[in-house]
Amino acid sequence: MSEKKDIRILAYESSCDETSTAVIRNGREIESLIVATQIKSHQRFGGVVPEVASRHHIEVVSQITKEALNEANCGWKDIDAIAVTYGPGLVGALLIGVSAAKAASMATGIPLIGVDHIMGHIMAAQLKDEIEYPALALQVSGGHTEIVLLKDPVHFEIIGDTRDDAAGEAYDKIGRVLGVNYPAGKTIDAWAHEGKDTFNFPRAMMEDDDYDFSFSGLKSAFINTCHHADQIHEKLNKYDLAASFQAAVIDVLANKTIRAIKQYKPKTFIMGGGVAANHGLRDRMSAEIAKLPKADQPKVILPDIKLCGDNAAMIGAAAYNLYNDNQFADLTLNADPSLELPYAKSMLN
Amino acid sequence: MKILSVSTATNHLSVALNEDQQVIVEKNERDERNHSEHLDPLIEEILKENKLTLNDIDRFAVAIGPGSYTGLRIGITTVKMFASILNKEVVGISTLQALAKGVKEPALVITGLDARNDNYFAAGYISGDIPKNVIPDGHYKIDVLIKAIQEYAAQNKVDKIVFVGSGLEKQDEKIKALNIPYEYGTDEQNVIHAGLIGQLAIDAQPVDPDKLLPRYLRRTQAEVDWHKKTGKPFEPDSHYVEEV
Repeated sequence: MSEKKDIRILAYESSCDETSTAVIRNGREIESLIVATQIKSHQRFGGVVPEVASRHHIEVVSQITKEALNEANCGWKDIDAIAVTYGPGLVGALLIGVSAAKAASMATGIPLIGVDHIMGHIMAAQLKDEIEYPALALQVSGGHTEIVLLKDPVHFEIIGDTRDDAAGEAYDKIGRVLGVNYPAGKTIDAWAHEGKDTFNFPRAMMEDDDYDFSFSGLKSAFINTCHHADQIHEKLNKYDLAASFQAAVIDVLANKTIRAIKQYKPKTFIMGGGVAANHGLRDRMSAEIAKLPKADQPKVILPDIKLCGDNAAMIGAAAYNLYNDNQFADLTLNADPSLELPYAKSMLN
Repeated sequence: MKILSVSTATNHLSVALNEDQQVIVEKNERDERNHSEHLDPLIEEILKENKLTLNDIDRFAVAIGPGSYTGLRIGITTVKMFASILNKEVVGISTLQALAKGVKEPALVITGLDARNDNYFAAGYISGDIPKNVIPDGHYKIDVLIKAIQEYAAQNKVDKIVFVGSGLEKQDEKIKALNIPYEYGTDEQNVIHAGLIGQLAIDAQPVDPDKLLPRYLRRTQAEVDWHKKTGKPFEPDSHYVEEV
């Protein structure tokens, strides 16, 4: 039997404040990963400024293309497909990756694959371990909070999402109140481990029987608590505030996700997105799943911390599945800032 | 020398193939909002019709700015990748110089792109095969631009001014007050032609594709506000991006 040919994908990601390229072999092996982050720039403004982000992306995109190929020790002739995030994200930022990938595809004749950024985040798990289907993913980031059902490697359905703020967005907003610069998640997570849940913030929609979330009420309760304390010149313990906030977020996420696992009985449970790097959330989800009867426990894949944030490796992983499904894009591929995974029928009412 | 040139600087998309000074074909799409969808297919169409591939092109040229920030980045990213991957030459041409080249008769050509609220990305050129810059490419309030024209006219003989680009007719009163014979560009002159960019590209100095970046001529509002608030100096952009 002849050995199956390796499939190498060069991937681009530029949807927000990271410009990244990677070479991924067979959807599983990272042969190279370059991430140029703009955090230092946007910290001047306390958050990502879209026009500034776009300007930084174009400064590095051709350079990091060469770096990804060099680091993987390969040339264009070794690449089987060029993949790129085409949405969701900031339109001007997405357009740099999309324009670069299309130009590269035209110049080399290598086929092009457009990848949904959220599908990419979820597929960071594939770089860690083999996913068995059906799988269920908790996708939590600055822009999204979703529970996603994966029927197979290319058919994903949202079964629950946030009605207002994303969880990561709430972290950044309460971070601002605590004087923590964006991105605030890592610091709040660390502080939470030093404090106790003493403030009993609301757990919105936790007992509802759908899989949707809401974090704006929690954010408001947090901000009101801080403002009130300010007015009466009371100093609140920032560690306890962080711990109370984080406990409320994690309680809701864990509660709903476990219920979804019980209903859909996935073979694999995955976490993805920037907030999947949160240690409190990772530990809690693992612990909750370990409490389920042995037969009902899905395999748990938590992506490497460094692959939770935006990166091209995850885009290359997702693109491999699309490659196998013959889902290629043509030169009219455009950025789609509000691209969404399909919703499950139960959500469409 | 085969030159492929592109302008995505305004809502008018233009792509041309030149052989030395001669424009072999130029294709334009007016008032088109999706350069990202249209640019590559238009390039491919031109190459196919001329039985060429990108590899047959000796030099790529692009409108480097000023113009729509997002628009500029689409064209520049595209040619920068072509040149980088295929090891070809690439040049960036001032959008305003390319506009000035559309005027054939001897004149002072004021080229301007409407940047709203009486602001223009504008410049002054003396018409010619290679229009000579006399008022630098910049972001001008209309009154500042008018003053720059007056100053130039005070020291140089100006028989006629041609105003080319977008939104300049709005300023007719101020332009009339200059008291110099003037006219406005024709519809053809008011849009950027990639064929003219290709002709200007012949004498331009090729640059490293990695360093080919838009000439925005304006910092972002966020940076300006940050600078005002903190008094901190602007560092080179590369200082703000780190590989991790």
